Amino acid sequence: MNPSLNGSLRGFGLVLAGVMALPMGAALAFEAPRLESSNAQLIARGGGGGVRAGGGGGGGARIGGGGGGGGGRKAAGHSGFSNAGGGLNRGSTKPTGGWSSKAQVGGGIGGGGGPSLNRPAAATRPAAATRPATATRPASGSRPGGSIGSGDRMASRDKPATRDLNRDGSRDYNRDGNRSLNRDVNRDVNRNISRDVNRNWNRNVNLNNVNLYPGWARPGWGVARPWSYGWYGGWATPTWGWWGARAAAWGVATLATAAIINDAVDDAVNDHTSYIVVPNTNYQLLYGTVQPSSSDSVSFVVQANGNNYQLTANCNQGTINGQEPSNASEAELLNAACQVAYGSV
Amino acid sequence: MLNRNTLCSRLGLLVAATTAFTAAPALAQSGTLYKLDTKCSVKGGAPQACVIEAVNEGNATLYRHIMGKTVETVRVTDAPVRMSLWVDSTKTWKNLDSAAARFSTNTICFNGRDLCAINPNYLNSVREDRPDATAGRDLVKVQFGADGRIDLTCYDDGCKGVGQ
Repeated sequence: MNPSLNGSLRGFGLVLAGVMALPMGAALAFEAPRLESSNAQLIARGGGGGVRAGGGGGGGARIGGGGGGGGGRKAAGHSGFSNAGGGLNRGSTKPTGGWSSKAQVGGGIGGGGGPSLNRPAAATRPAAATRPATATRPASGSRPGGSIGSGDRMASRDKPATRDLNRDGSRDYNRDGNRSLNRDVNRDVNRNISRDVNRNWNRNVNLNNVNLYPGWARPGWGVARPWSYGWYGGWATPTWGWWGARAAAWGVATLATAAIINDAVDDAVNDHTSYIVVPNTNYQLLYGTVQPSSSDSVSFVVQANGNNYQLTANCNQGTINGQEPSNASEAELLNAACQVAYGSV
Repeated sequence: MLNRNTLCSRLGLLVAATTAFTAAPALAQSGTLYKLDTKCSVKGGAPQACVIEAVNEGNATLYRHIMGKTVETVRVTDAPVRMSLWVDSTKTWKNLDSAAARFSTNTICFNGRDLCAINPNYLNSVREDRPDATAGRDLVKVQFGADGRIDLTCYDDGCKGVGQ
């Protein structure tokens, strides 16, 4: 065979091999930032401070300023211009949650219910004075482990909560041991370990497999929610059959309002934070994981005591994982998840 | 000579297979993506009911905005991103000058405010496709050059004075 032809064919073969390898290589290259982003989020949460994951999506990756210089999320050798393309694209990739068939328009949308490029009027969000106080949204330095209900209500909740947990977590131990001794031991242990976690919440979930930022979890999330069924857009704080008596026993008059929960989601979206702190609880609801599972049920992931739990709730019956809430915190969680899924904004 | 011919024909098959492999994703996305009942406005006018049909055709996605008997179709392609409007009188596609979106109102507008629509599906897709570029953003504008490619992209405060 002609040596030069042989050589060129060999070279062509290499090119072909390169072409065939390219799609996989390119896919890996595109996937990498998401993985880094998600890991950075986890680190930020665990560390208790920097919610923005080292500059986060908003800062570190901005056009021209991004990449290695901004948030440190890129390894050396990246140009910093990987996100310098157009801010809009074809829009044909099916987002998490799928396509909606009916857009919710009206409340909160600028231009009297029509399309508008104007910033939504401030009146559509609760005024600063009516927003949850610091107690309902901890300062960034104390977020993950921070106690939301550190106000009066928390103080009054400690006693019943401890009693509940003794019941759940260590009843056998109490039975067998000395009563006064148990009181000391259980109080400390329960406070730190299992006060807020229902023992039926046993479905730990690996967040690496969960999309914390689906396309709808963004400014305008209330309209962007892709499901157009159930109570979507029309759900309000319900009158669950069990509520009156339980609320009285818990010493709780009301649950967090829709405005407070909506505002918490708005703030989390603006901060590029994956969770909201459920008002008056130690729970962190990963709002991007909220999905309706039928016309009146939702699934979601909640963080409690450093663990992640995949839960379901029936907003009509007022149950979490098939059971009525056993304390006010669980009721607040149920209320918040249903509001994010179905509530008006 | 025989060996050379055989080798060339095998190479031809390989090239054909490679081409088919790389073209497959485009083919797999053909068809209607969704139909969305929503609101649109034309040239800054009052909002009116409209249906948006998003359809993949080859390497482009067509967005048909159906308002009564009026249909405005925008074609969007990727790599590079181009947007064009169907001009029925000339039966041609005309490149857009600009497009803008505000996430918080779920609005996308083309050519200033010539055609605006509430389309959360489009924005959800953009948002999820470009998480780093869109995180923390609300307003996004792009301006196209004479060749139809993006000349400028701006975000939020960076868009002040752009496209006015």
